[in-house]
Amino acid sequence: MRLLTSAERRYLIKRLEDQHGVEDAFDDLVLIRTGQGRIRATTKETYEAACRLRRVQQVGLYVAKMVKGDVILSIEGSQLLGAAITKNIIELSEEEAEEWMKAAPIERSEKIESRYVIARCGDFYLGSGRVSRDGKIYPQVAKWRRIPEE
Amino acid sequence: MPPQSHDLVRRSMSKIMLSDDLRNYLNRLPDVELDLLLEAYERPLPEAFRVNTLKASEEKILERLKSRGYSIEPIPWARHGYVVSGGGDLGKSLEHMLGLVYIQGPVSMAPVEALDPRPGEVILDLCAAPGSKSTQIAQLLRGEGVLVANDISFDRVKALSSNLQRFGVLNCVITLVDGRKYPRFAKGFFDKVLVDAPCSSLGIISKNWGIARAWSIGIVERLSELQRRLILAAFDCLKPGGILVYSTCTLTVEENELVVNWLLENREGARVSEIRLKGLRHRPGITEYNGVRLRDEISKTMRIMPYDNWAEGFYIAKIVKEGG
Repeated sequence: MRLLTSAERRYLIKRLEDQHGVEDAFDDLVLIRTGQGRIRATTKETYEAACRLRRVQQVGLYVAKMVKGDVILSIEGSQLLGAAITKNIIELSEEEAEEWMKAAPIERSEKIESRYVIARCGDFYLGSGRVSRDGKIYPQVAKWRRIPEE
Repeated sequence: MPPQSHDLVRRSMSKIMLSDDLRNYLNRLPDVELDLLLEAYERPLPEAFRVNTLKASEEKILERLKSRGYSIEPIPWARHGYVVSGGGDLGKSLEHMLGLVYIQGPVSMAPVEALDPRPGEVILDLCAAPGSKSTQIAQLLRGEGVLVANDISFDRVKALSSNLQRFGVLNCVITLVDGRKYPRFAKGFFDKVLVDAPCSSLGIISKNWGIARAWSIGIVERLSELQRRLILAAFDCLKPGGILVYSTCTLTVEENELVVNWLLENREGARVSEIRLKGLRHRPGITEYNGVRLRDEISKTMRIMPYDNWAEGFYIAKIVKEGG
């Protein structure tokens, strides 16, 4: 666990702007790099408190993961950025949102150029989905977070 | 009385089985109505949840739930807390998975209400997993200040981490430390500390009847020793003027009043403070037990029997560290 370097931070912000049109993402937060390209966000005060403590396991909220230059936003990461996300976003119905949270692929008639999209259902953001060559969108929902199948 | 088979007594009207030891223990406790207690143990606990105001407005989330067929009644003593009926399994709902609601027993919300977290405070939840009370503290901090959620078990910390993530808590630190050792590096660091101590769980037998079968006074004595060390550690982590809430979901005096009395006898600056929670039926802490007189101020602590609110049984004490 370490702070993102300035270069890493600039890269993340640039990629979020390119992928999802977000400007100055997470600009008031401390960003921390953990294993497997995961990025966590927290407040300055929380980070300072963590530095004083021992056997720290985690700090703040998992917001994103970098995979081969792409940014995959977690559910909370996308909710945090919210209305700042203007590009590559799809709107889901309630039924589709349920399917998304079961990690079931979602079909869209329109062609999507980006490798990743963000899903939204009303005011709620549901994180990133990977756009496959067959046009389906595969939700990147962690197993523990999925609605169990009946 | 002739010995009962397998040392167990089956009540003629009751499905629940208490060992002789437990039955005798409960009969000796002052102010316990055993028939009512057994009735409470046989009833399912009410389903309850908190709305996550870190993610959306309370009105918006309640509107969603109502539109999905849930009937909702506010819990008088818990901000953002509701008892729910009807609708589907809330634990498998979209709202739960998105972290818009957190399922938690109604009385289990009371200790954090007693702690009364305020934005900007630095708060330690010493025995935090799986995170119900931690998420409640985070909610009341409203993103300002710091929540430190600690637990001793690596496996339980994983559940804690998942719940804090689902709830969307930015200002949290998770530590994996034996709570008894916390003052070694965090003495006087916190504005408030919650010790929701590991206990013999006699207040939540309706969740798991196995608790009644496994109960023994030996377990209670071992837990009581651990609880005494945890409460001292928690108190030492407080700043002067800080507030400690000690709670358990059990009914034994050894794990409740005697633990708080131990703190009062071992730390000069510790004072018990009154707890006021609207609508929560309770009784005062026991001040005389087995011929031993405890400090009078123990009567300010809260003993909640399962049949007081037809929900979980709890014990809650609020202690102020003088000198702020």
